[in-house]
Amino acid sequence: MSFIHYMRWQDVIDILLNSYILFRLYVLFRGTYVFRVLTGIAFLWIFQRISVYFGLILTSWVMQGITALLALIIIIVFRNEIRSVLQAKNLKAILFGFPQKSDPTTIQTIAESVKTLSRRRIGALIVLPAKENLDDVLKGGIPVQGLISKEMITSIFWSDNPVHDGAVIIEGDRIAKVGVILPLSFKSDLPSRYGTRHRAALGLAEMTDALVIVVSEETGNVMVAKNSNIINIHGSASLTEILKEHMGLHEVESGYRQQEKLKMGIAAVVSFFFITGMWFSFSKGLDTLITLEIPVEYTNRKPGFRIVEASVNTVRLHLAGSGALIKSIQPEQVQVKLDLGHAVMGRNIFSITQDNITLPPGIFIRKVVPSVIEVTLDETIKKELPVQVDWVGELPAGLILSAVNIDPENVEIVGGKRILQTLSTIYTEKVHLENLKESGTIFANLALTPASLNIASGSKDKVKIAYVIKHRAK
Amino acid sequence: MRLKYILIVILCLNLFFPQLLFAQNPRHPTSGVTKKKLTLDRAVMCEDIKDFAPHNPAVVFSIKIGKVCCYTSFDPVPEKTFIYHKWFHRDSPSTNKRLYLQPPRWATFSTIQLRETDKGPWRVEISDQNGKLLYILRFSITD
Repeated sequence: MSFIHYMRWQDVIDILLNSYILFRLYVLFRGTYVFRVLTGIAFLWIFQRISVYFGLILTSWVMQGITALLALIIIIVFRNEIRSVLQAKNLKAILFGFPQKSDPTTIQTIAESVKTLSRRRIGALIVLPAKENLDDVLKGGIPVQGLISKEMITSIFWSDNPVHDGAVIIEGDRIAKVGVILPLSFKSDLPSRYGTRHRAALGLAEMTDALVIVVSEETGNVMVAKNSNIINIHGSASLTEILKEHMGLHEVESGYRQQEKLKMGIAAVVSFFFITGMWFSFSKGLDTLITLEIPVEYTNRKPGFRIVEASVNTVRLHLAGSGALIKSIQPEQVQVKLDLGHAVMGRNIFSITQDNITLPPGIFIRKVVPSVIEVTLDETIKKELPVQVDWVGELPAGLILSAVNIDPENVEIVGGKRILQTLSTIYTEKVHLENLKESGTIFANLALTPASLNIASGSKDKVKIAYVIKHRAK
Repeated sequence: MRLKYILIVILCLNLFFPQLLFAQNPRHPTSGVTKKKLTLDRAVMCEDIKDFAPHNPAVVFSIKIGKVCCYTSFDPVPEKTFIYHKWFHRDSPSTNKRLYLQPPRWATFSTIQLRETDKGPWRVEISDQNGKLLYILRFSITD
């Protein structure tokens, strides 16, 4: 699980975004040939990665070529399918929409037909059988077995139609019979406004489990009779619901929706894992090495302590990672820090470990050179030291340098305690004698060795040298 | 007697014009107020000792000379004692010479033979028998 530590937030977005794109491609193109070809390409790509893993150079090369070629071909060959998907949907539908299964057309057709009949006040009697066989209770009727349509139903109940007084039996999406005589109800407590159609509808409903729709010729009211009950219907929506319930389509739809949800869920999970696999294949499979020279940063140095010597100032880091990440790496993203919080005065040896190195996510350390750093710490103190001139060269023949006066005679030096304890003199930079022919004055800088030494503020970094030259006595 | 007068004249000159005569002589040599105290009278680096006196005192010496001397004279010397001439090449000790002094005054010197590797700044620390630092002479060995 160590890879989680190396994942960047960009990588998570990368995976999620591409997973969603793949999922949307599935949603938009499922059931088409495009999706099948896309699936084929995906398998080819997986095969190519496996070939790379096992070192099958030629196979992987061929697979790579075919995959690339197929990706191009799919756009050309299936351009019409792609266009139809893109043209048929708006941006919102492409990005977020889910295809809905169309409602059963039979119910819609019946509902719309009833609505038309009601509006035109055309009396109608429509029977929708359930599980029970109605042959014993129905009389007459003409078999039709015609595909149901709004026009057909309307025309059956048209007043000039010879069969308009009978009932229509609908089985599935077909009109099974027309002009069927239904048994009348013998109920004596029916309202007087109910006509023969209502009584017939109720009669069948009392005797069977069928549902009967009645459209009043006089008022245009729609009523539904079922199980000895007859109720008023207001609007197509409520009729549709009753029809769906009668036909058991609620359960079917619920099952269908659950199945769709399951399919979508599986597709989403597969998309996620496929893209995650691709991401790891790209980020880890294409390992690239790089060597960076990184300066060592010393942190948490105790106050008053100073580094007087370090075995190295930079370390060479051999880094590995995917080609894309390695190419994008910036030297400032890589840091090597040594914690001097527990360091003591004198020599300290540190091993450079993973904890000392800060790397961008997705980059791994392979080697550190050198892996051990020696750091010498010292306490900073001030010390006043006498100045001495470091003469070099040769005086002109016959002359001697008999006396020297240095101003200032002493300077205050700031540096490590260990170093300053060993020093008793601070020397000037080398002063050449060749050009000194007579007494005079020159200026010279102080040679601060080692370089960790500094001149204290207030002291001069340059001294004035007054010298006396005499002729050598014989 | 003549030597005594010469020494008095030199002492007076040294008091009034210390840098004129001995640039790296003791700046504040212990004055001879108390005769009982060992007092460094003169300290100087020179090429040689001739007639019991430093010859060609200087602060820079060519390696071609082959040697360099550290001359010190004490006046007074209250009792028989000894002093040290500690030679340092840069800050590294080179040699430590023990030199005896006799009352009432005494001049003595130490010498080192020069080698090619001796080039560079030197110092000689003059200290008494107890190790008390009396004076530091600084000089250079050059080409």
